[in-house]
Amino acid sequence: MAHFAAKPVLAVEGLNKSFFGVQVLFDVGFTLCPGEVLGLVGENGSGKSTTMNILGGVHPRDSGRITLDGAPYEPRGPRDAVESGVAFIHQELNLFENLSIQENIFIADFPRVGRLLPFIRRKEIAERTRAVLEMVDLDVPPTMPVARLSQGERQLVEIAKALAAGAKVIIFDEPTTSLTRRETERLFDIIARLKAQGIAMIYISHILGDVKQLCDRIVVLRDGAVVGGGRADELGIERIIALMVGREIDQLFPPRAPCVTTEPLLEVRGLSQPDVVRNISFTLHRGEILGISGLMGSGRSELARILFGLDPHAEGEIRVGGEPYAATDPIDAMRRGIAFLTEDRRAEGLMLEASIADNIALPSLRDFAGQFAGWLRRPQLTAQVVQAADQVRINTRDHARMLAKNLSGGNQQKVVLAKWLLRAPRVFILDEPTRGIDVGAKYEVYKIMNQMVADGAGVLFISSEMEELIGMCDRILVMSRGEITAVHERAEFSSERIMESALRVGMDAVR
Amino acid sequence: MTRSTLHPAGARARKAGADGVRAQLLLLELSPLILFAIVVVLFGLAADRFLTLATLNNVVIQAAHIAIIAIGMTFVLLTAGIDLSVGAIMYVVVAIVTLYLGDLPLAVSFPIGLLVGLLIGCINGFFIVVVRVAPFITTLATLFIGRGVALFMTDTAMVFANDDVLTLGQTDWLGLRSSIWVFGVVFVVAFVVLRSTPFGRQVYAVGQDPAAAAKAGLKVPLILFGVYAISGVCAALGGLVSLTQVAAASSTFGFQKEFPVIAAAVLGGTSLFGGRGTVVGTAFGALLIQTVETGLVMSNTDPYAYPLVIAGIIFLAVLVDAQRTRIAARLNRRKIRIDDPQDRG
Amino acid sequence: MSATAVEAGGGAGLRRFLVRHVLMSEYLVLYLSVLYFLAIWPFVPEMATASTAGNILSAMLPLLVVAIGQTIVLIIAGIDLSVTAVIAMASVVGASIMTGDGGYLAGSPFAVPGGIVAFLVIGGAVGLFNGVCSTKLRMPSFIVTLTMMMFLSGAALWYTTAHTETSSIAALPSAFVAIGGGDVAGIPNALWVALAVAVAMHLLLSRTLFGQWLYAIGRNREAARISGVPVDKVIIWAFVISGLLAALASILYTGRLETGTPVLGRRFLLDIIGAAVIGGTSLFGGHGKVVWTVFGVLFLAMINASLDLIGLGHDFAVGVKGAVILLAAVLDAARRRVLARQ
Repeated sequence: MAHFAAKPVLAVEGLNKSFFGVQVLFDVGFTLCPGEVLGLVGENGSGKSTTMNILGGVHPRDSGRITLDGAPYEPRGPRDAVESGVAFIHQELNLFENLSIQENIFIADFPRVGRLLPFIRRKEIAERTRAVLEMVDLDVPPTMPVARLSQGERQLVEIAKALAAGAKVIIFDEPTTSLTRRETERLFDIIARLKAQGIAMIYISHILGDVKQLCDRIVVLRDGAVVGGGRADELGIERIIALMVGREIDQLFPPRAPCVTTEPLLEVRGLSQPDVVRNISFTLHRGEILGISGLMGSGRSELARILFGLDPHAEGEIRVGGEPYAATDPIDAMRRGIAFLTEDRRAEGLMLEASIADNIALPSLRDFAGQFAGWLRRPQLTAQVVQAADQVRINTRDHARMLAKNLSGGNQQKVVLAKWLLRAPRVFILDEPTRGIDVGAKYEVYKIMNQMVADGAGVLFISSEMEELIGMCDRILVMSRGEITAVHERAEFSSERIMESALRVGMDAVR
Repeated sequence: MTRSTLHPAGARARKAGADGVRAQLLLLELSPLILFAIVVVLFGLAADRFLTLATLNNVVIQAAHIAIIAIGMTFVLLTAGIDLSVGAIMYVVVAIVTLYLGDLPLAVSFPIGLLVGLLIGCINGFFIVVVRVAPFITTLATLFIGRGVALFMTDTAMVFANDDVLTLGQTDWLGLRSSIWVFGVVFVVAFVVLRSTPFGRQVYAVGQDPAAAAKAGLKVPLILFGVYAISGVCAALGGLVSLTQVAAASSTFGFQKEFPVIAAAVLGGTSLFGGRGTVVGTAFGALLIQTVETGLVMSNTDPYAYPLVIAGIIFLAVLVDAQRTRIAARLNRRKIRIDDPQDRG
Repeated sequence: MSATAVEAGGGAGLRRFLVRHVLMSEYLVLYLSVLYFLAIWPFVPEMATASTAGNILSAMLPLLVVAIGQTIVLIIAGIDLSVTAVIAMASVVGASIMTGDGGYLAGSPFAVPGGIVAFLVIGGAVGLFNGVCSTKLRMPSFIVTLTMMMFLSGAALWYTTAHTETSSIAALPSAFVAIGGGDVAGIPNALWVALAVAVAMHLLLSRTLFGQWLYAIGRNREAARISGVPVDKVIIWAFVISGLLAALASILYTGRLETGTPVLGRRFLLDIIGAAVIGGTSLFGGHGKVVWTVFGVLFLAMINASLDLIGLGHDFAVGVKGAVILLAAVLDAARRRVLARQ
């Protein structure tokens, strides 16, 4: 391993940050030398993104000192950060599909012909673009529209954009989630090449194998503080996981008596859809919480959409409660007792401009409509809605007037849960139900799930947090590239060792 | 670990399927041109005088004012906005130029007219960018206000242009009518601005994704303001070009012109949702509409059928575009990566 | 010192009262109407007479019927620009069936019912077409209904020339004319019709499954689909209702004018959308009420009437209308900003 110059390009010290009175970062500090790759790992909510957003100029910090090349660094915005030499490559790429590569790279600051004439110097931007594209080993003309590039190529364009802006530090946030294996390997080659040129990088990923292979040093964050780290070659994956988790899993999840039966509720056999999922087979039983683990893009959310009848499937057989089910129409799915909490609650789960009561009532309206002209039986509906809202303990009194957009993330998720609980589903598909909500609200979501299976429902629980799958599920299916690649029984997990193997599974699937 | 296997035959079949979709897409993309070719051939067969340079000349002269305004509208549509006030701007400008500036030389009165258009465009921009009223409502309001003011000025009576205006309308330079020259200049300037200036490219960026544009450090409000100002000037210019051709304006001058103008832009492939469209396409759309109209006249079709045919053609073009967008979205949606066989080396 | 403090406190209280009960109120446009009436009354005392009230009413009724249909389409985040062309087309086709001057059913006892059916069939069919294009074919409703407007406006003129030498189809049966012009119990028939439509549509929107589905689609189409709303079907019905109500308005207009006219309603297109928007219905969907549209139409009709009385004429009213729309939009922007701050 290389030895780095004593003088770091980036030094972070005593970084603190609060959102709405809740402190999320506590004295975070680390250094980064030129030509070094620093791995940053931690669970969701550990403070990785907040730290990087501060470095990238997205959020201001409350206190703390950051120096870049020895000078104080206080970006006023993302643009300012880029101009200072810190580039942030987000998980969601920020490219304009309708423009060419060279235009994307220079969009904010085109070199012009002369002072007075506003014309773009096409030759110059083409040349400069060609130079940076060469640095990232992307052999396409600079005038190629971004719309025609693959996801991996777009990522390389983002890197080229950072290089063109003269970046000294590049931050990668989960860069491999939507890349193919070959694209991933190519990205790693590029990172190695940039490293040789003295560019410093911060690499954030859930895939610990990648981090260990790629990085010189690793910093582990937990609950907003740095809890450990060291040279990557001296730090085992077991040790990293122990640092990341750092507490007894048992206390995070409500206790529950096992209530799994052998009665099948949802049976899936040989389900396939080209380019989406392949040969999926599993059975969900009455009283069972069945977890689905997998990375973004592994096909887990797409599987859920197919099961609920939102997206088509080419082959396969599905049975609900023993009866054949075509999965072509959400209305049919609901009639059979299936409910679906989507991954994106703001875009697909809620009507943000509507009240809590209207949101909860929506899927059940049909049941409260009379024969005559669909006249709604308001009193019954209101009573049921209030009951559902109480069941999930939404912390507000005025259900009829409080708008969903004014609720916290946790309360919003409870509204989505309540709207489906009102229908008393037999099969409940939950896609990332605890994403972006705090620990207290998570605990309540888990309690609701336990109550549901105790009452005889089956829950299909999709999550990218291994920890909660282990804490909650009776069985866990692992998905990768549209296929189920492993099944773990509850008896096998509940210890750190099993979690490690589960993480390895995710890792192997991608490597 | 189970390793997924993929039959090469299956992969080939899928690839062939994707190629089929791509071919479909290409066909749909070329469909406006195909449509144009069909129209020209049909009218060529129906009227023997149709396929002549004189006809082409006529089409361009008559399409000029709509094309000019539609080019301005293209800037607005590229940002996912809309400008309903263009017809009203035409009328206001023509009313002012004929009623109050009739005694001034055209070199003075016409630029003042353009300034009036610029002013109304800036008012639109102000309400949209600063007060944050939706473009549809802002320009609907300025449409009403503009028409009201113009009707008040003209007292709803016909207004007449002076002889200089008439002469200008009949003047040929280098064998081409003045309105063709104006259209040509607007076309070239707009083409260059949209293609080769930072502002032009940033208009596309703002229309594609305003949030990302702001994040990239673009001055989004300024760009939005700019496109409405441009649309205002183009509407004024279109009104003046029209005036040189008809020499008089009744109380319905420019009335509901916003609709054929938007139709021309959309026919040329401009999206109402922003980020997609070109000056060439818009000019093409305006010319196509006028070609159809001229063709209908020359083939002695019942005049009452004109709007029916034109509406039908626009509908067809938008229908094709909607299917194109749907197929393109399907091609781009494939988030799930299943490696190609050669990937598994 | 203490007096000024009290005064300042009172001022702040008044401001808070105004913000909460006037600016934030859904009856803002009604208040503006009243304010406008009171402001103009000293200058134009005729405003307070029964005949003016009658004029305002008769001017606003057919407009109200179409605007309510437009409100329903706006709630699902669509727009229907074809309504005025539907009015024109239905008017000439219906008239051509009924006219004593060589109509298809002239003299038959089925002339009037047949004519009315023709009005409604045209409205419903156009609505169905618009709806299918904006759902199954995924075309933007703005363009679909725009081309429909161009097509039908042209078709109405053409149809008229094929049936008469003059510019409109006259000699309609008296039984039909009575629908738009007559009265029952001293109240004009048009008022009965408009009232029935308003009440029915208000109940439809606020009390039925269909109404709740309309709002859900406008608020979040994807969430509505996932929650089991038959999105395409509901959207198609919304356009069909808009078409049918335009046809109904055409019956009222045609009856009042006693002729079928191919340019009927041409000037009102933007008034119809303007009235709904002034009332507070959002162009972005999910937000709108029948009463709001009633206020919007009332406001516009009152401005037209008052400007007529002042002698400025209908044309000048166009400009004032624009200023009012802008004012309403600016107030709405202010309202949203206040809401965002809360």
